[in-house]
Amino acid sequence: MSFQFTEENEKKFADILSRYPNKRAAMLPTLHLAQEQNGFISEEIEAFVAQRLEVPIVDVREVLSFYTLYFRKPMGRHHIRLCMSIACWIRNCDEIKAYLEQKLGVPSGSVTEDGNYSWEAVPDCLGACELAPMLQFDKYFEGNLTREKIDELLDGIQNGHKS
Amino acid sequence: MPIKKIVSEFFGNEDARRLDWRIQRGGYEAARKALRTMSPEQVIEEVTTSNLRGLGGAGFPTGRKWSFIPKDTDKPKYLTVNADEAEPGTFKDRYILEWDPHRLIEGVIICCYAVGIHKAYVYIRGEYVRPYERLQQAVDEAYEAGILGPKVLGEDFSLDLYVHRGAGAYICGEETGLLESLEGKKGWPRLKPPFPAVVGLFGCPTVINNVETLSHLPKIIENGGQWFADLGCERNGGTRLFALSGNVKKPGVYELPLGTPLRELIYEHGGGIQDDRALKAIIPGGASSAVLTADEVDISLDFDSLAKAGSMLGSGAVIAMHEGICMVKALHNIEHFFAHESCGQCTPCREGTGWVYKTLSRIVAGHGRMEDLHALRIHSRNMTGTSICALCDGAAMPLGSFVRKFEHEFEYYIKYKRSYVEARSETVSI
Amino acid sequence: MATITIDGQQVSVEPGQTVIQAAEKLGIYIPRYCYHPGLSIAGSCRMCLVEIENMPKLQIACYTQAQDGMNVITQSEAVYQARQAMLEFLLINHPLDCPVCDQSGECDLQNFYMEHGRYDSRFIENKIKRKKAFPIGPHVLLDQERCILCTRCVRFTDEISKTHELGCFNRGNRSVIDLYPGKRLENLYSGNVVDICPVGALTEREFRFKCRVWYLRSEESICNGCARGCNINIHFNSTRTYKAGGRRVQRIKPRYNPHVNEWWISDVGRFGFEFIDQNRIEFPYRREENELQNSDWESALDQAAQELQEAYEDDPASIGVILSPQLSNEDLYLAKKLFIDALQLPNIALENPWEKRGIEDDFLLKADRNPNTRGAHEIGIKGSAREILEKAAKGEIRFLYIFWHDFNAPEAREALAKVPFIVFQGVNWNSTAERASLVLPGATHAEKDGTFTNFEGRIQRFKQAFVPLEEARADTEILKQLAAKLGHPVSYLDPETIFIEWQGIGYDEIDEYGMMVGSAPALQA
Repeated sequence: MSFQFTEENEKKFADILSRYPNKRAAMLPTLHLAQEQNGFISEEIEAFVAQRLEVPIVDVREVLSFYTLYFRKPMGRHHIRLCMSIACWIRNCDEIKAYLEQKLGVPSGSVTEDGNYSWEAVPDCLGACELAPMLQFDKYFEGNLTREKIDELLDGIQNGHKS
Repeated sequence: MPIKKIVSEFFGNEDARRLDWRIQRGGYEAARKALRTMSPEQVIEEVTTSNLRGLGGAGFPTGRKWSFIPKDTDKPKYLTVNADEAEPGTFKDRYILEWDPHRLIEGVIICCYAVGIHKAYVYIRGEYVRPYERLQQAVDEAYEAGILGPKVLGEDFSLDLYVHRGAGAYICGEETGLLESLEGKKGWPRLKPPFPAVVGLFGCPTVINNVETLSHLPKIIENGGQWFADLGCERNGGTRLFALSGNVKKPGVYELPLGTPLRELIYEHGGGIQDDRALKAIIPGGASSAVLTADEVDISLDFDSLAKAGSMLGSGAVIAMHEGICMVKALHNIEHFFAHESCGQCTPCREGTGWVYKTLSRIVAGHGRMEDLHALRIHSRNMTGTSICALCDGAAMPLGSFVRKFEHEFEYYIKYKRSYVEARSETVSI
Repeated sequence: MATITIDGQQVSVEPGQTVIQAAEKLGIYIPRYCYHPGLSIAGSCRMCLVEIENMPKLQIACYTQAQDGMNVITQSEAVYQARQAMLEFLLINHPLDCPVCDQSGECDLQNFYMEHGRYDSRFIENKIKRKKAFPIGPHVLLDQERCILCTRCVRFTDEISKTHELGCFNRGNRSVIDLYPGKRLENLYSGNVVDICPVGALTEREFRFKCRVWYLRSEESICNGCARGCNINIHFNSTRTYKAGGRRVQRIKPRYNPHVNEWWISDVGRFGFEFIDQNRIEFPYRREENELQNSDWESALDQAAQELQEAYEDDPASIGVILSPQLSNEDLYLAKKLFIDALQLPNIALENPWEKRGIEDDFLLKADRNPNTRGAHEIGIKGSAREILEKAAKGEIRFLYIFWHDFNAPEAREALAKVPFIVFQGVNWNSTAERASLVLPGATHAEKDGTFTNFEGRIQRFKQAFVPLEEARADTEILKQLAAKLGHPVSYLDPETIFIEWQGIGYDEIDEYGMMVGSAPALQA
């Protein structure tokens, strides 16, 4: 069964296309939209995007392999990115990394067994150094991390998340 | 002395995002003034007089940058707003996007009017999801209120603004890497010349400005270029946001005049060093800048003084490190970043960043050799001025400066297979 | 026009030309990997960095446009240091494959290294491991570890073949060049990526491990695969007969011709050289007691002349001569002199009506898979062999002289069966040769001098690379001796003499990129 945008996403896609003078420029936003719908970019979606944007499929894969935010396989229900860049490192993110690994039970770059979380310790600075050490939990930044804060974050997730 | 708050005026105020509240506090007044009472040339002149310089990292005079756009071209002109804030230590643009997006939009209007641009894209890094949502909401509000669209603020000037999310690549903060990414490709920087002002987005003349740079424009138009220039120091106009982090008691965003001493930022505004320990090193302008030792803390925070000292003001990201931080590991962390972010297009960066990172990893693991230091210095030289874009130079500068200024720590680590700081902490009671 | 100085020498350049091109005009070779004149400029290898006066940083010569008054220095400490640095960077992850790598001897890493290498490596980390030596298409193997990421191959599949099979994936030193999974490098020009790869990352399956390049000699020739007439170099090994089963031609490489094929050649032409060394007719054969037996030239030609003479005296219209567009202009000119001018035979033909036409595209390939159809027409030889074979089917032909063709269609075979005496002159065995009464071994274009005229009328010269195999002879030689035996001797010493009579000029006066029919100065006079 091949991938198709939902009706709503087709409208969004049409809006995306209208912003650029050519279809190729819609590559990144289209992939974001597809990932929103599907959770990750499958090979089917690569072919779909290549066809809709009228570009060779190898170009889609080049883009996917280059950028870090597109998932190539299913991730957890929540995705955590732990910042390991210089400002966070100065504030002991190494300890937080060890704790996260212990708490989640899987190493960086993996999905927990129950599928609730996937996480990665990234060398990219996430742009919240005043909160160091910090992590990105789905779309939110959580900072001034301590073991207790991590516990609070992961254990309190059932109740939804504060903005 | 009260510090002038230009772009940070409403930081911390939840209402500032709302268009109605913002309008009541002068929102879009400057844009209106420019559109109604000034010619585009007059706007450019004010900006040139203001000595406003690019606040994303390169520090290029903004008015002069705009003047490179060809006057007589039948191609459409574009503005791309560089919101791909990814230089390690930098988080200031995020504040503008989250707290005062309308100020940015107003700056965009002023810039586009001055240069004759009718389509602008904000390229915002993919990781900034909430800031993106807030910006998009502000843009939607602006369209509804007729501030953006076919008749900006009711005037005979059309402007469309689109927000385009990145997907996780530091190199897309490089001007032409950004353009390639906007065009739907990998962020491989282009060969220059031609520069984006002549051949930019979709082959058309393009202005690329940082978020903060544009956000200063409303106040410049309101109070005049000379007023802004006078706030700063010679050839470095106005104030700027400094993102202070690391071993300080009060990390955060501080808006200070260009020319403020670094000491003042760290000790007065930043509250001094964590645990009152001794300052050892400061990264003054993001990870790509050359590191300063504690003796250099009295340096003036302006583009020219830092350039003269062999470093750079860069993105205004100031990272302080105290005596408890191992300089070898710090450099290792920084070079890991560059090896991870190198786009891979050109030889010195692709291979050089990887090699440097591997060598430092080996040293940190306790298997360094005396020859490694000499090799690292040579790599720093070979990676300077030989690549397509400045990422390679950005990897070379911390490499050269850390190894030179903290040579003894590197030598110690290699000789004794462990960090000098660690060893010292066992012998010296804090 | 602008004038620039390079290493103290002045040269004038057209607007838009780059420093690297200006340097070439002066005979100065600036080392480079990613630059190729037939592809877009990548500027990524950084090997061609040079010093330019008044510019603070070194500049890449492949991209910097030559401006009037520019002063370029390609030999200086700074330039040498930069080249050494770039080479060092490229070599740190490069595998030590030279002993087993086909590119050895023509590898730009080796070549530039001899000038600029550090000799003692100071890299002691682990080299990055990637996929090694796997086929990416019917003709090409990729070794990702050897790849220096110059991206010439990716640009080729984007800009020239426009088939987009290859991409450069990932980032930083994890970058790799690869196919899209599931795709193959199957376009008809896949072999060109092997030419342009400066190192041994892309290699030819057909050439893999066959012969070291320093045993190869090269001769300029013209491809005989189709009517385009791509310019080639035949790379052959003549001194080490134990290599590759004794075959002489090891590979074909395209030769630059801006009017015909630029830098490229199709796979059809590139890999279509097996016929030169395989399945060859090596000796003359005469049919005795219904079997072909080895013979010698003297008796074979005597028999041919005798049979032809008898048929001629009986009725010239009982003779059929089917020439071939595989023959050179010189072969055909001599054939015309003999069969048309001297003997005035009425049944002369050129083409096999059952011959399959090949794929034609908008790049190099022409549907006509013969190199000299236009040449034959210019000389006055044309027409399908169908009429002759129809006459043969009715028993009206008693002597048939066939060059090269394989008349394998059933009606053709039936017709041939009714012809009492068939002479076959060609290079490879086929069904017609096997049924002939007399088989004469001719020479391939690699084994004789001559010219072909391509589809647009360009006369191009090919040069003899090696002598004909065993007893095979150049077709001009065979026809000369036959003509003498028939009482119509000709005075040609060699193919060039024939060419001079035909076109009025010698081979050396043909322009390096060929000449159009009718443009020879002597003819125009």
